[in-house]
Amino acid sequence: MAGVLFEDIFNVKDIDPTGKQFDRVSRLHCESESFKMDLILDVNTWLYPMELGDKFRLVLTTTLREDGYPDNPEWTPLDAECTRADSFEYVMHGKLYRIEGDENPKEPSKNKLSAYVSYGGLLMRLQGDPNNLHGFEVDQALYLLMKKLAF
Amino acid sequence: MNPAVSKPADLILTRIPVPPICIRPSVISELKSGTNEDDLTMKLSEIVFINDVIKKHKLSGAKAQMISEDWEFLQLHCALYINSETSGIPINMQPKKATRGLVQRLKGKQGRFRGNLSGKRVDFSGRTVISPDPNLRIEQVGVPVHVAKILTYPERVNSANKALLRQLVCNGPDVHPGANFVQQQGQSFKKFLRYGNRIKTAQELKEGDIVERHLRDGDVVLFNRQPSLHKLSIMSHRVKVLPHRTFRFNECVCTPYNADFDGDEMNLHLPQTEEAKAEALILMGNKSNLVTPRNGELLIAATQDFITGAYLLTKKDTFLDKSSAFQLAATLLASDDVNLQIDLPKPAIIKPKMLWTGKQIFSLLIKPNRKCSVFANLRTKGRAYTNNEDMCIKDSFIVIRNSELLAGMMDKSTLGSGGKANIFYVLLRDWGEDAATTAMWRLSRMTSMFLMNRGFSIGIGDVTPGSGLLKAKQELLAAGYKKCSEYIEQQAEGKLQCQPGCTAEETLEAVILKELSVIRDRAGKACLNELSTANSPLVMALSGSKGSFINISQMIACVGQQAISGKRVPNGFEDRALPHFERHSKIPAAKGFVENSFYSGLTPTEFFFHTMGGREGLVDTAVKTAETGYMQRRLVKSLEDLCLHYDMTVRNATGDVIQFLYGGDGLDPTYMEGNGCPVELQRVWDNIRVRYPCRHESPLVATDLVDGSEVLLKSTDFDCCSEEFKNQLRGFVEGRAKRITEVQSGWQNSSCPILKELERITLSQLIHFFHTCREKYMNSKIEPGTAVGALAAQSIGEPGTQMTLKTFHFAGVASMNITQGVPRIKEIINASKNISTPIITAYLENDTDQEFARRVKGRIEKTTLGEVTEYLEEIYVSCDCFLLIKLDLERIRLLKLEVDAESIKYSICTSKLKLKPRNVLVQTPSVITIKYQTSKDSLDCTLRILKDSLPGIVIKGVPSVNRAVIHEEDVGGVKKFKLLVEGDNLRDVIATMGVKGTKCTSNNTYQVFLTLGIEAARETITSEIKLVMENHGMSIDHRHLMLVADLMTSRGEVLGITRHGLSKMKESVLNLASFEKTADHLFDAAYHGQTDTINGVSESIIMGIPMSIGTGLFKLLHKYPFLDIVILCLGILRYYFSQLIENMAENVCLVHSLYCVF
Repeated sequence: MAGVLFEDIFNVKDIDPTGKQFDRVSRLHCESESFKMDLILDVNTWLYPMELGDKFRLVLTTTLREDGYPDNPEWTPLDAECTRADSFEYVMHGKLYRIEGDENPKEPSKNKLSAYVSYGGLLMRLQGDPNNLHGFEVDQALYLLMKKLAF
Repeated sequence: MNPAVSKPADLILTRIPVPPICIRPSVISELKSGTNEDDLTMKLSEIVFINDVIKKHKLSGAKAQMISEDWEFLQLHCALYINSETSGIPINMQPKKATRGLVQRLKGKQGRFRGNLSGKRVDFSGRTVISPDPNLRIEQVGVPVHVAKILTYPERVNSANKALLRQLVCNGPDVHPGANFVQQQGQSFKKFLRYGNRIKTAQELKEGDIVERHLRDGDVVLFNRQPSLHKLSIMSHRVKVLPHRTFRFNECVCTPYNADFDGDEMNLHLPQTEEAKAEALILMGNKSNLVTPRNGELLIAATQDFITGAYLLTKKDTFLDKSSAFQLAATLLASDDVNLQIDLPKPAIIKPKMLWTGKQIFSLLIKPNRKCSVFANLRTKGRAYTNNEDMCIKDSFIVIRNSELLAGMMDKSTLGSGGKANIFYVLLRDWGEDAATTAMWRLSRMTSMFLMNRGFSIGIGDVTPGSGLLKAKQELLAAGYKKCSEYIEQQAEGKLQCQPGCTAEETLEAVILKELSVIRDRAGKACLNELSTANSPLVMALSGSKGSFINISQMIACVGQQAISGKRVPNGFEDRALPHFERHSKIPAAKGFVENSFYSGLTPTEFFFHTMGGREGLVDTAVKTAETGYMQRRLVKSLEDLCLHYDMTVRNATGDVIQFLYGGDGLDPTYMEGNGCPVELQRVWDNIRVRYPCRHESPLVATDLVDGSEVLLKSTDFDCCSEEFKNQLRGFVEGRAKRITEVQSGWQNSSCPILKELERITLSQLIHFFHTCREKYMNSKIEPGTAVGALAAQSIGEPGTQMTLKTFHFAGVASMNITQGVPRIKEIINASKNISTPIITAYLENDTDQEFARRVKGRIEKTTLGEVTEYLEEIYVSCDCFLLIKLDLERIRLLKLEVDAESIKYSICTSKLKLKPRNVLVQTPSVITIKYQTSKDSLDCTLRILKDSLPGIVIKGVPSVNRAVIHEEDVGGVKKFKLLVEGDNLRDVIATMGVKGTKCTSNNTYQVFLTLGIEAARETITSEIKLVMENHGMSIDHRHLMLVADLMTSRGEVLGITRHGLSKMKESVLNLASFEKTADHLFDAAYHGQTDTINGVSESIIMGIPMSIGTGLFKLLHKYPFLDIVILCLGILRYYFSQLIENMAENVCLVHSLYCVF
């Protein structure tokens, strides 16, 4: 699919490890199955309840259009076309604003790269091998698409 | 006395001056028949009467004694005529009721000098109650129509405004946009428009006529609230004429005026000329004064509800559906912005339901649409910041990127006044005052709207403690009380370990006080844990809008210890604070500990203790106001005429140089973005990287970065920057280069393209960076004409009003109090010779050895004989009688005193007791005997007197030093010791063996001046004021302190800012007369035949001429007779002014060239 930057299946390892800070938002700590990426993600749990051990598919894409063309950067009230979002349960829109390295001069193999995305204040940090974060650019507008997987 | 002007005979008044009747008007009485005459008239008539009496007596040949008595009486009345408070009048002759003599008319606050000459009553002004209006823009002030119809502005008719003014004239004085008077060109007569044919007058209006029209929207007015403690107490606003009867303004502007709306009144003045309007708008406009010149921090910023609202709006779990998001966004559409386009961002959550977050809506008020070219950037910690930067679990790390709030809750630190890590500060510095004020206005509209819809109130439920909290509090109290009673017991048994330099009593007080404050803090923490996040007081405390955690815990958990002058409540009754307790009781409750909360209610005794604490606060405030007011007046009087000249020197009115370069670098404290430096490089760096993505360029490597910056710094663009600033830039870029190298080596040259995103900086970004830094530096250069003196005086005086009169514990050392707050500032500024807590900080030659420190302490601290004697006895044996001193050698050894019997003998012999060495005998190393002396008194008596006075003999140390405390510091894991010496004698302490004399400091400026000289005294003044201010959590730019210190030391001795110091600093009579001792200065001036050149500020105001400060500084120095030169000069001037407009900062060198030409 064109425009897809990242796709993987994650397991929820922990929810709000330091206690619940906000009523409607919880912080999920997840780990991906195939690329072994670490994910921290704020989710509106009132809208989309998540539980420990949940397994979900996560897609990061730059467009919601099925054909992969970049979509309208402006928001228009009437956006009811059939989009990629239709096959997902929870969709957020935000901005990639920071890419930060976590160097470890002694063991370069353990180096990790973190990409920070803010979905209007709901933060996401995707951390892992740089090769999996191919195509990520600062100031990129991103869609996050999530769907829980049944066991 | 100047012989050319006067001779001593002139000092004798041979004729009495009689002022004209307008000086001493007679008022026709309403109560009784006849008139009420002025005091002067009465006195004059008495003088005339006595003259008549004398004349009559002379004619009738009365006794010489009677005539001389009358003569005396006449003399007395003549003296009273001039000064009715003349001293030395015999009691029987004293006047019965106080009258007002000539001197009394001049002196004092209501006198001629201060009441009528330095401050005058003005026309075109108004005063009424103020009230808030968040819908008004920051620069607006709402003026009642009523006021607008009275205040007028004389507008000259021209072709552009003719039609409008005609309409206004037609409307007349009673309809609001109207006019009150018309003055035709060339005539002095003003036609009042209430009567007569207005339409005819309007038709006759010609160009050049003047119409006194009503105040209208957009007019520039000056707005002021007393006390006018700093320049921001009077600012210009734009008028918005509104119905109702109060002046209104946006709450954001409360801080500079220190206004609230509990009935405060404010004044309004309407400038009457275009020039005055222009100056008011540019120099005093409140948009141009968002920042205080004290330290460059934001003063006009969001307050109270705006902060609460923004905090709640930007909370992580604030989600808005379509309708409420639209409604909030629509609040931006008002005033000039009714047609503003708003580009709502895509909702953060698209599925399952479209929801915007509060942060997205908040971002709109900085940048409402795509066309808006404001790109603000900010990365900073919030108040509740924990760790992990962006991922802070409390969401208190604020990230604003290209005007988009990406993470973090807004709170006081990022919205409120004070501090520079503020979104409005960023907007102001990078995008100008309009961007900042507009955003502030939008914030006030949006947040108040949001809060009104959401609802925010407080109720009894908010302060009701839960059962868990009550239990926790009981446990805390029980544990604390138990500990306290343990301490009391220990003290009673004498087992309490004394703290250094304290008695057992003091130690007990200290530990109990500590224990009790722990109880309150713990109780506060416990209630914080229990409160829900929706608790209103908690929200206010967390956002920083109002109140603190202590306030919350006082309401819910425990009010805590009531302190009176920093101690527990003292005994007002015999050995107890209140008769409800046992005598000598030291338990918490007996000494003012309030264990109840305001919710649970205070017991009668607790309530009484609480009122005691409350009264202290009230008294404090009252005393403080008067004290700081006087201090401010003195500061301003002595500093008012210091201003920056075109050669960047600071000079006083007579042209004496105070500083050769203002602040050492010629920079304006108002524009300091960093802490005392003009540019916060890291912020600019981040901002440039975000602002200019330069995606098509490839990033620079470390070496290129350093080389490139070097080339840029060497270019002519940077010639105007100081070497210091360039080095700062260089250092910063090198730091960044180092980081880039680190990152590269960390990744071992992995070729993944995404790695290029790390620490990415491109060439054009670097150029932008340097260009921005240069621009900021040039902007921060201070403008010639700035009244730096007045700014410094206000910057020190104004925060004084916020200080509490309290002493603080010396950091780390118990029981060593140093005077702080207003009294300390007063001491420093007065250049007092005897300060209340002189302390010398003595560094040691060997500062890691505690033994060494003890030895040096022994050398400095005053030790008396009594302290080292085991006993002192009169010995009577059959053949002899003498005094025996038994020395406590063990104690001497323990105290590390360098004394022995011989040295003590020497001390005894050199003391004032006049003992002869042969009478004082050292028997053994621990026993000294003193034989009796033959004297007139009996033997017994002599010995007794001797016995009483011997223990007081100083055997070691500096006599004026009572105490020296060893101060322990942990510097990088190594314990370092230094001595804090209580005393004045800096010279002797420096000279003590083992003290590192080059590093000793004292807090007594006068002592420092005597021992180390004037430069050291200057340094001490600066550092001491700074210390006091820092202790009270106030920051002041060091340039202000430097200026005050420089002025105080500019004459080669430390001059206090008092009337004595002032009379040595100033030459002008009028200036001194308008300060204090009016009559004395005038008499002196008359005696010496002084002249006054009228250079200074006070003199100019008194004489009613423009002062030579600010825009009045420049003048034509010399008018050269030849026309071509004049034309040349005009050319240069024109060039200069065009440059001036282009770049205010660059004008200095041009002025130099101007000077050369002339």
